[in-house]
Amino acid sequence: MTLKKWNYSLLCGLSILASVARAEEFVVGVHLPLTGSMARTGLGVQQGLTVAAELFNRNGGKYTIKLVTIDDETQPPKGIAAVEKLAAEGAVAITGGYGSPIVGPASEAADKAGLVYLTSGSADERMSRRGFKGFFRINGNADVYPKALAQLITEQGLTSISLMYSTKKATTDLANDLTKLLGSKVKVTLQAFDSATTDYKPLITKIKLQDKPDAIVMSAYESDYIGILRAAKVVKPAVKAMIGAWVLLSPKMVTEFPDLMNNVYGTASLTYPSSYTSAEGKSFHDAYRKLYNSDPDYTGHNGYMQGTLLFKAIARAADKGTLKQKNGLAEELRAVPVETLSGPLKFDEFGDNILFRESMGQFQNGKIQVVSPKERATAKMVFPAVPW
Amino acid sequence: MELFLSVVYSGLLLGGTYALVALGLALVFGAMKIINLSHGELVVLAAYIAYTVEARTGVNPMYAIPLAVVVVCVCNLIVYLLISRIRHDRELNSLLLTYGLGVVLTNSMLLIWSADLRSTSSEWMQEAASMGPFSSMRSELIAFVISGALMLVLWRWLSKSWYGRAVRAVSSNREAAALMGINPFRAELVSFLVAGLLASFAGVSIYSSQVIQPALGPHLTITAFIITVLAGVGSIHGVFIGAVLLGVSEALTTVFLSSSMRELSGMVILILVLFMLPNGLFGATARRG
Repeated sequence: MTLKKWNYSLLCGLSILASVARAEEFVVGVHLPLTGSMARTGLGVQQGLTVAAELFNRNGGKYTIKLVTIDDETQPPKGIAAVEKLAAEGAVAITGGYGSPIVGPASEAADKAGLVYLTSGSADERMSRRGFKGFFRINGNADVYPKALAQLITEQGLTSISLMYSTKKATTDLANDLTKLLGSKVKVTLQAFDSATTDYKPLITKIKLQDKPDAIVMSAYESDYIGILRAAKVVKPAVKAMIGAWVLLSPKMVTEFPDLMNNVYGTASLTYPSSYTSAEGKSFHDAYRKLYNSDPDYTGHNGYMQGTLLFKAIARAADKGTLKQKNGLAEELRAVPVETLSGPLKFDEFGDNILFRESMGQFQNGKIQVVSPKERATAKMVFPAVPW
Repeated sequence: MELFLSVVYSGLLLGGTYALVALGLALVFGAMKIINLSHGELVVLAAYIAYTVEARTGVNPMYAIPLAVVVVCVCNLIVYLLISRIRHDRELNSLLLTYGLGVVLTNSMLLIWSADLRSTSSEWMQEAASMGPFSSMRSELIAFVISGALMLVLWRWLSKSWYGRAVRAVSSNREAAALMGINPFRAELVSFLVAGLLASFAGVSIYSSQVIQPALGPHLTITAFIITVLAGVGSIHGVFIGAVLLGVSEALTTVFLSSSMRELSGMVILILVLFMLPNGLFGATARRG
């Protein structure tokens, strides 16, 4: 290396150091379920947020972000306490939150503190209808999931389904919405189950002997899916497809339970292994792999998206001098459509991402492929097909 | 009829797993009048040891039982040593202590194994074992057989062996037992170690047939406690019968009423039994005996 190049490198290094030294730091408060029943999801979002902060700070802009994270232990009162503590510690905004029962009261606490609250962890329609100017969610309204499921069922030409749903609020709402959407075109038999259920064989046997549907649709969470699929493998009902909703087609599920997952359908905004083509996507993927030695799943992906969106809005508001003003950051978030890892995003007056669309994927020979709607499909669906 | 039979069969197997979890709690409760609220967490710890052994070596999770027994018994030994230091209101203070230990155990498992769901990948354990209308996973059948066998061994140990009789004597009257030459400390320690052994079998069986995660412990403890009270304090065969009753009633409620009433059915049975038999299904008989 010549002396000139050395000097140039030194100058660059010093200027980066100088800009970092000058950078104004903003505290962003994060509350997530890092322990308790939602811990796995919370940890995923936290990892995405951490990558977002690292990449944002690495860019050497005028501002840096410091994340202060509090574990809400999957408990609503702890969520409220976390937001109040973060507000007292000078957070300029709150992000995180998983599950509507926690996001609801926590975002109310943020509203009382006059802070923006941005989440990817709540689909309850009522969340965005409370008149909070600072409430935003990147995953849109709950209706995207039943719509994606209904489209798949229509494309498959199913005439009857048994809809197994956990009696938790979000999963019950999804089941009811899907039933309404399918109307009289598809015969739907509802089978509710308690979230503490460990043995699903009795219900699957009932479906096999009494309902005799074309397919079993599951509105549930990870542990329920594993139990249902295992029970179905034992009882073997004569169905054409096993279809699930959120958190079914995640990398964790397909790597840890591949024998249960083959040919199973679920909502999927990402293929797996992940195939990011944009420069930002590749940069996120590389940073995530470096930090966590694994591919990001949708929770990490969403965490990164919400973090990046928020940090950039903070920087824009700080540039304009509106960050500390009432609704300054909220107006910045709502101002223009922005391009994200999942495509364009725009918040409406309620804080819902109106451009969010959900797709349906299928686990095919070790990979998650998007199979519905057809215009976004990355592979042809394998149908009829079940895991056993 | 086919549906009814298959549902009863599923309930029986589920009851077998419940009994495995409840036996250890019932033994300590019967012997020391102490409700070990960290018992469920110890069961989950054994399950995670089975997971680790299977993930590292690829062997059937049942091979993890010896290691699980060692680790869980050491943990239960520590629990007992801490309880034995309580000087006043042992029944009440031990509740607080074991609850706290349960929280520590849950969070330790979360740190070590993360919050991911785990379950066996052994295809042999998951294979269907079907006969007519009766279908189950092989692992569920194995758990049921282990549960029945352990119940018999425990019953025989308590009624025939010197240590078993010593445990019963200490449970009946600690001071009188000491005057008869029984070391109460040692008898209680043995009952805790046996409870640890039972928790190890329960944990490995649960890992082989269900899904585990660190926060599962309190749910297991509550189920075990319901069964213990249902059976009657000190009744080992009552635990097995109570567990099967609970399992069958839950399965029947799920299919013929509503799954959302599953836990309610267990509570209704518990209240009815306590209303008619305040000492539980077999508690009074055992005391008279």
